[in-house]
Formats: sequence, structure tokens, C-alpha cells
Amino acid sequence: MHEMSIVQALLEQVAEEVDQAGQRGRVVSLHLVVGRLSGVHVDAIRFGFELLSPGSIAQGAALRIDQPPARCHCDRCGAAVEIAEIVSACPVCGHADIIIRGGQELLLQSIELEDEDQAGEASSSDGWIHENRGSKEDPEGQ
Amino acid sequence: MKIVAAKKILKANDQLANENRAAFSGRQVFCINLVGSPGSGKTTLLEALFAQWGQRCAPAVIEGDIAGQVDAQRMEQIGVPVVQINTDGMCHLDASMIAAAAQNLELTGVTMLWIENVGNLVCTAGYDLGEHLRIVALSVPEGDDKIIKYPAIFQRSDALVLTKIDLLPHLNFRTAKARADMQRLAPEARIFEVSARTGQGLPELATWLVERRAAAAPSRS
Repeated sequence: MHEMSIVQALLEQVAEEVDQAGQRGRVVSLHLVVGRLSGVHVDAIRFGFELLSPGSIAQGAALRIDQPPARCHCDRCGAAVEIAEIVSACPVCGHADIIIRGGQELLLQSIELEDEDQAGEASSSDGWIHENRGSKEDPEGQ
Repeated sequence: MKIVAAKKILKANDQLANENRAAFSGRQVFCINLVGSPGSGKTTLLEALFAQWGQRCAPAVIEGDIAGQVDAQRMEQIGVPVVQINTDGMCHLDASMIAAAAQNLELTGVTMLWIENVGNLVCTAGYDLGEHLRIVALSVPEGDDKIIKYPAIFQRSDALVLTKIDLLPHLNFRTAKARADMQRLAPEARIFEVSARTGQGLPELATWLVERRAAAAPSRS
């Protein structure tokens, strides 16, 4: 089950993205894209997230997971049909001369953060001071 | 406040994989990631290929296993430089493990670096290791339905090697079906049918690999 490693990578990436955006608010929700043929199981992602997110920046965040389909292209009838799972014949004309593409996405699409006025006062003022010092006094800036 | 990332979740691994690939290319080392089920004959295929090439190829191997040194010992016995990675239960290799393992390999003079991945048709699919070529081995006793049951790994491979084809007379494996399924998922991929035991199909695979290596590193071919 490699979903644990994927959730671990996801949590690191969320922390990095939030940091890069200069934000400190709590993560309210995450939007992921997991293609139907990605080989990644969405239930296992949710389970891994429940297990690994406590104590991380994404603790308690809701997961929105889109599962885009793959596409079946038929060489005979020319149809390009969305498929939720793998097929061995064209769903339109039944011919076997098909090529299956896509459905392999594994993306962190977006991160929804708590609005600043909702965030705890202590953490937001602390965050501002750090932000200021970081940009002005960092000797390795540039 | 919304941050739109739209980035691959395994972006950190992909970046590291690109660094590995650049490092291998810089040293004229052609790297191949060999994936397949446990027991699909990956190690035996390597032994057979290395015997086929003899002195014409200088291989090194990174062996990935959950536990044990068995595969590494087989490589040592035939005089191939090898590093064993034990993942301690993890079901796949990732690019950071390869970067660390490559540090422990003398790559000077090596022309082909093989990574024998952990035996697994699911988890290995999403992890780029920094290889130039990915080959999936499917042994015919596993059945001809595996390609459509585990599409991700086949979709992302540059070649399918059907192994143990000397057993075909005893099985219901439909080679034509396996070929057709692979072509639907990976139309550009090459398909080989080999038996390490009889040597059937090995020369074709060996020749293709040498050609691919030459195409990737024209200055040393």
C-alpha cells in the first residue's frame, strides 16, 4: 500500500506551499485529483490522511478528491469516450482497436486556508513578526 | 484564502528522479528500472541478459527488496557490482533511495545500471527513480489478465517482457491478448517474449537494449 507514502509526500507539499505563499493559517480543505487509472486508491488516501495528518498543518482538513476518467480512443469509429475503468473494446462500436490514455493524474490542486480574521490572534501576530524578520534580515536572501 | 498549487503530489520525488537521471546521463550510465510481480523472473532475466552480453556490457545493479540479500548475492556470484536496498516493508523504491544507493556503487566504467524494483505491480508505478527506460516483466504463469488488472504499471512502461515462455504449452496464457492489451495501454511500448531457460527471445531484447542505450548516449556507442 503506497498510499501512505503518497499522503506523507502530500503533507510535506502542503506545508511547503503554505510556507511559500507566506501564510500561516490552518488548512481547512485540500483539493486532490486522483485519476481513475493512477493505481492510487482514494479510500486508502483518506485512511492515510486520517492517520498521518494529526499534528501536521493539515490536521482536520476536509479532503475533496476528484477522480478524472481515462479516455478510450477508437481507431475504427473515431470515438473518444470517457471511461471510469479499463475496457478492452470500444464502448461505442465494440471494436478492439482502441488506445487508452489519461486517468493517471495525481495532483494537489489547491489548498483552502482559514481566513485570517478567523485565525487565532496569537498565531497570526507571531506569524507576522517572523515574516518581517525573515525578509529583511535573512543574510542568505536574494 | 486559497492556494492553487496544481502540482504533482510526488513532485519532490520527481525532482529527485530528474537529478538522478541527469547524474546518470552525465556519467554515460544508461539506467533501467525493471518492475514486475514477485516471482516474475526479474533477477533471472538479468542473469540471462548479462550472460548474453558477456564482456560487451558493463552492468551494475541496485536490488530493491523488502528484506534479505538473496538477489544481491546472485549478482555477486556472477561478478556484477551490486548494492542491495532493503525497504523494511515499503512496497516500492523511490528516487531518494536510488540517490543514496548510487553513492555506494562505483559507476566508473559502468554502461548500464539496472534497478530491480521491489516485486509489486501496483506501488512501483507512480515512482520515477531517474531511469532512462522502464521495463515491466510479466511471467506467463501469472496469467494474461494482469495487464488490464494493473493498468498503471503497464501504461507507464517502455517495454513489456513476457518471461518464462517455455511454459506456454502448459498454460492457458494468450500471448495475442497480452500483446493487444499492452498496445491499447502503451501503443509505443515494445513487447518481447523470452525464456531465460531456453534463451528464446533473449537476443532480440538484448539488441534492443543496446540500441536504446546507444540512442541515449551517442558519444560512447
